[in-house]
Parts: sequence; C-alpha cells; structure tokens
Amino acid sequence: MTSAPDQQPLPQPQAGPDPALPVVVDGAWKRFGSTDVVADLSFDVRAGEVLGFLGPNGAGKTTTMRMILDIIRPDRGGIRVFGGPPGTQHQGRTGYLPEDRGLYRDVPALDTLAYFGALRGLSMATARQRARELLVEVGLGDALTKKAGELSRGMHQKAQLIATIINEPDLLIVDEPFQGLDPVNATMLKSLLLEQRDRGAAVVMSTHDMEDAQVLCDRILLIDKGRRLLYGSVADVRRAFSDGAVEVVGTQLPTDIDGLHSASHATAYDGAVRYLLRDGATAQDLFRELGGTPAQVERFAVEAPNLAEIFIRAVAGDPRAQAVA
Amino acid sequence: MRSSFLRLVLLVARRDYLRTVRRRGFIAGTLLLPAAMATMFAVSGFLSTMGAEGQTLGPLFVVNQSAVTLSADPALTPHVVLVSQAEADAHVADGTVSDYYVVPGQWPAQPDIRHVVAAERGPSRPLDALTLEQTSQAEIEILLRVSILRDAGLPDTALARLLTPIEFSSVSTAGEPVTEASVLAGFALPYIFTLIFVLSIFITSGYLLQSVTEEKENRVVEIVLSSIPALPLMAGKVLGLGAAGLTQVAIWLVTALVAIPLVNQQFSLDLTLSPQQMVLAVVFFCLGYLGYGAIFAAVGALAPGAREGQQYSSFFGFFAVVPLIATPVFVNDPGSWIVWTLALFPLTAPASSLELLSLPATPWLTLGASLVSQLVFVVVAVVLASRIFRATLLLYGSRPSVRGIIGALTTRA
Repeated sequence: MTSAPDQQPLPQPQAGPDPALPVVVDGAWKRFGSTDVVADLSFDVRAGEVLGFLGPNGAGKTTTMRMILDIIRPDRGGIRVFGGPPGTQHQGRTGYLPEDRGLYRDVPALDTLAYFGALRGLSMATARQRARELLVEVGLGDALTKKAGELSRGMHQKAQLIATIINEPDLLIVDEPFQGLDPVNATMLKSLLLEQRDRGAAVVMSTHDMEDAQVLCDRILLIDKGRRLLYGSVADVRRAFSDGAVEVVGTQLPTDIDGLHSASHATAYDGAVRYLLRDGATAQDLFRELGGTPAQVERFAVEAPNLAEIFIRAVAGDPRAQAVA
Repeated sequence: MRSSFLRLVLLVARRDYLRTVRRRGFIAGTLLLPAAMATMFAVSGFLSTMGAEGQTLGPLFVVNQSAVTLSADPALTPHVVLVSQAEADAHVADGTVSDYYVVPGQWPAQPDIRHVVAAERGPSRPLDALTLEQTSQAEIEILLRVSILRDAGLPDTALARLLTPIEFSSVSTAGEPVTEASVLAGFALPYIFTLIFVLSIFITSGYLLQSVTEEKENRVVEIVLSSIPALPLMAGKVLGLGAAGLTQVAIWLVTALVAIPLVNQQFSLDLTLSPQQMVLAVVFFCLGYLGYGAIFAAVGALAPGAREGQQYSSFFGFFAVVPLIATPVFVNDPGSWIVWTLALFPLTAPASSLELLSLPATPWLTLGASLVSQLVFVVVAVVLASRIFRATLLLYGSRPSVRGIIGALTTRA
C-alpha cells in the first residue's frame, strides 16, 4: 500500500524508435484466423529495467513475446531488437523462458543446460562450466547428474531459469517465471532475475501475479485483446488510479483543513490521518504544507490501489486508464 | 556470440547423434539383425546335422506274397531285404526294425502295398521319420517296377537306360550357365537388399519423428526455437539422425559382407555385392532417408503426440513397400512403365532405385532419372518440412488447420 512519492518516474516512450533500446514494438499486428491476437501494439523495453507484461489469458502476451523472438512474425507493424529486425543474429543476446516449458526428461539437467548454452553461442565447455556454477548457486549442486525426469517441480523451474540466463543475455523474456513455486524458491529466483536487471539486462516478465509485478517491475504494460490498456511506471499507473487520498502517520497532525489549501477533507484513525486532496493539488503540495505545521511526519504515503485492482478496473474499461495508456 | 549456421547444424547433429546411438533401443536394433543371422545359421546348421543323423536308412524288410518274382538289386535297391512273414514279425518283435512292407498276393492287379508298423510306435512320428518313410517307399517302388519290367522280359540294358536319371542344364543366350542358385539369387538379392535398406530408411526416419515429437512432449521446443532458427535445427537433426542411421547400415553392411559367403555356402546360392553397389546403396539410402525424414519430421510437427505421429507416418510406409511387391516386374522387365513410374515417384523412388541397383544388369538411365527425382524432392521436402516444423511445433496438443499448414508452407522458415 505504500508508494514512494520521491521515486523518479521513468521517461515516457519516445515517439520514434530508439536504436539504443533493446526492444521497440511499433504498431505490431498479428491475426490468427479471424482474430486479431495483437492489434496495433506499441511499446519499448529498456536496458536495466523489468517490464511487467500483464493481461488476461489470451490477451496476446505470448504471441507478442514470440514475435520479439522471431519465433513467429507480425502481419503488420515493426519490431526492432537491439536496433535491428528480430532474428537469429540476436539469439546469443537473448534468453527466453516460455510458459509452456520443460527439459529433456531422460537427459541429465547439466547436459541439457550446457546444450542450451551452446545453442546460444557459448562454447560447450564454457556452457557446461556456467551451468554447473549456476546449478550450485541455486542449490542444485546435488542434482547435476540427475535426469530431468527425476527432479522436483521446484528444481525443474530453477533449472529452466538457468537455461534462460546461462548466456548472460542482454534481453531476457520470461513468461510466468515463478508459477507454482514455494515462497523460498520463488524468492531465490526473483533475486536471480533482479541480478540480471541490475547487471543491465532488459527483462520482460509476463505474470498474472500482480504482487510480483508491483514489487519487481519498473514499468508495466497491460494489454487486453491484443491492445494496449496501460503503459508506464508502476508509480505512474498507480497514481493515475489513485482516488486522491494520502495517508499520513505521525504526531500533531492537523485534522482541521482550514489551514490546509491542498486538502478538502481529513479523517483521523488509529494514529494516522487520511487527507483527501483538492482538485489540482498534489501530494507534494500537502507534504510541503504539513512541513509548515508542528506535525511530526513519520510516514507519508499516497493511497493508491494495488496493481491487482488496477488490472481489474482497466480491463473493465475504467476511463482513468486513458491517462497511462 | 554470433553463431554460424554450420556451427548450429553441427551442434544439433552431434547431440542428436550421440543421444540416439547411446540409446538401448538403437543398440538392440543395430545388433538384432546380425544376431538374427547368426542365430539362423546356428539353428540351420544344427537342424542339418540332426537331419543327417536321423535320415540314415536301415534295412527295408519286404515280404513278397505275390506271384511276381522280386529281386533286390544292390545298385538300385540297396536297402531292400526280402524276408518271409515270420522273419519280418520276428525282427519287429526283437526291435531290429519298427516296420516292414508286405506285397500282397493280388499285386500287381491291386496296387496296394501294406506297410506294417510296430504297435508300440504309435500314430505320431517326428518329421525326419516321415522323410525316411518317403525315401524307403521310393526305393520299394523302384523294386516293384523293376520286378514287373523284368517279369515282362525287358532286357537289363534297356532297363538300365530306362532308370538312368535325365539331367537338364540351362544356359543363357550369352552361353553362361544358369543355375537354380543364380536364378534364385536374381530374385532374392534385390528383394532382401531393398528390404533391408527400406527398413533402415524407415528406422532412421523414425528417429527423426521420435526426436521431433519428443521435443514437443518434453516442451523444450519453444526454448530451442528461440535459440536456433528452424532450418539449422531441422538440418542438424536430419544430419545427426541420418549419421546414426548410417552407423546402423554400416554395421549391417559389414554383417552382410561376412554373411553372404556363408549364405551362399549354406543354401547353395550365388549372392554377390560389389563395392559399387554398396556405395550407391549408401547414396540412395541417404536420399531415401532425407526424403522420408523430411516427411516424418513434418508429420511429427503436425501430430498432436508421438502415438499419432507414428500412426500418420505408417501411411507412408505403404509407398515404400510398393516396389518390394513389384519385385518380379523389376527382375523380369526393368524397362517397363511400371518400373519407370515407381522409380520417378518420390515416395517409391528410394526402394525402386535400390531394387534397380541390385539387378544383375543395372538400368543406369532409369537409375539416373530416379536419382534426379529424389534430389529435387529432397530439397523441396526439407525446405517445406522446416517451414511446417517451425510453424506448427509450438501447437503442442492441438491440431493445426489446413489453412495454417498452407500458410506455413508459403512462409520462409
């Protein structure tokens, strides 16, 4: 429920494709049968960020990811990857964890991971060494020679994520990476994913878990029926759906709004005061005004709905989505 | 980090090759043919030894009650011993023999000869005893016929001429002797040779089908396709699994080279395989495998699962065996329109060219035309298969539409 008002919003997408961006999707269309699975979709992905790719089932997320990876091709529109068309030339710089995934069941996990690493441009020896290190890092050191069919689901998931990052890709596309994992393993894999972002990789993460999206993503892209509904930083999107309320915790907080120009209403409860902002006023205005009072502010948070609520509202056609579409 | 096409092809090929040849099924399948041949020779040798021991003809006791004088001839009827009824019964009783023959008083007016068998021997007899009985009865038949002719006053010189066996010998128009063995070999070699190679083509293409469906069922195909384009993936699979198939064929060929002299000796045949035939056989094996392999890969990509994939692919097996059914046409009339059609039609061309190759006089024109037909088909099939492969592999568990397949065929992989 907290949001940092001082968090710097990420710059909005530029009008034209920026060759420095790992991914630029510009008005892409894809039709299967008589259905437009992706319709005039535009967005970009930046280095060193996690872009949350959200949407209901069948929204067109997987199709879009496959188009970025050149597994399938758009009918219309442009897709640029590392400044060029998608294709084999980028396969050494990308990593992909599809939703429908597995490992060769009758082959040791280490061999499979080394093979995937070699396919992505590493030498077989390097790929094997890196696979070994990563398996040990995620606690699968004992399972190096185990066949994939003998691994638990959690072990499978870890091995699959390793297959995705084994070549230290500059672009990482992961589809429901933490699905079905227990909290311990999920936390471990989240750290692994954020490590990739922190070393500068662009990460596209499709998820239905809005809590994960809220915590892990720098920006989100919500699509429905192939069309973009929301696009922007998590903070911007939440702010757009905010009801204009600020929750302040502290002492000597004023509840009389006569001295406050930025608030239209104040309600005290449980050691906190909930201020409703006037039209045109910002949380920053209120924060400044409270600084001029004897109030001691311990916590200041713009009340905003979480991403799960925003998801539901946006898909239901909430007009506030227009502001961040 | 950029991977070249060739590097990716070799990487996939190496992996698929090693994975296949290390499988128990492959090792068992490869060794099965040599083992079966070795077993066949062992059993055949054992049975021939058993037969030789069992077929030793002992004395044939004959009781003559007729008016015709019977005389055993040491040259014509060496085992016949003429005895009285009492002597015959005594020999049966003391176990010297288990049976004897009685020529009744009405003979030859009534041609029935009685075969008296010891009661304790029972109605059932082993196969070699029946063979022995036939040999015995043939000798007694000679005894009786010769006796009639002698009784009629035929001189021994005429009798000797009458009984001298007549021998036939065949020669070709080129003056070369044509033996039964070479006639049999003329039919047997094309058939067996083609059968083994068609079997190899199908087994190897089956590996490709298995590999494709396995990647679907293990759900690694999307990861693989995001790492490597469909064409080098397909090419690597075709190369690696083809190499596995060639390994199998090479082992079988070596077995054949060892076995052919033994087969010739054992069955009095005249089978030969020239180095030229073997090299061309490998070429046609490769073409057959590439064509069928491409089809099987596409089938594997289209089929919802491994079981359906095998069912669909078995349909193509029908085409492969048509030339085998038509072996007599290949042998008797290699220039006929049937042979030409089968040699040019891509699905029957691999088996047809192998049949043509193993004919005593190779029809090079037909074989060359078949080679061109297969080359063209292989190129087209591999490209189309890689397009289908790419477009449909991701649809695990679902059935792609006809429109989708046509769309895939017209889109570059």
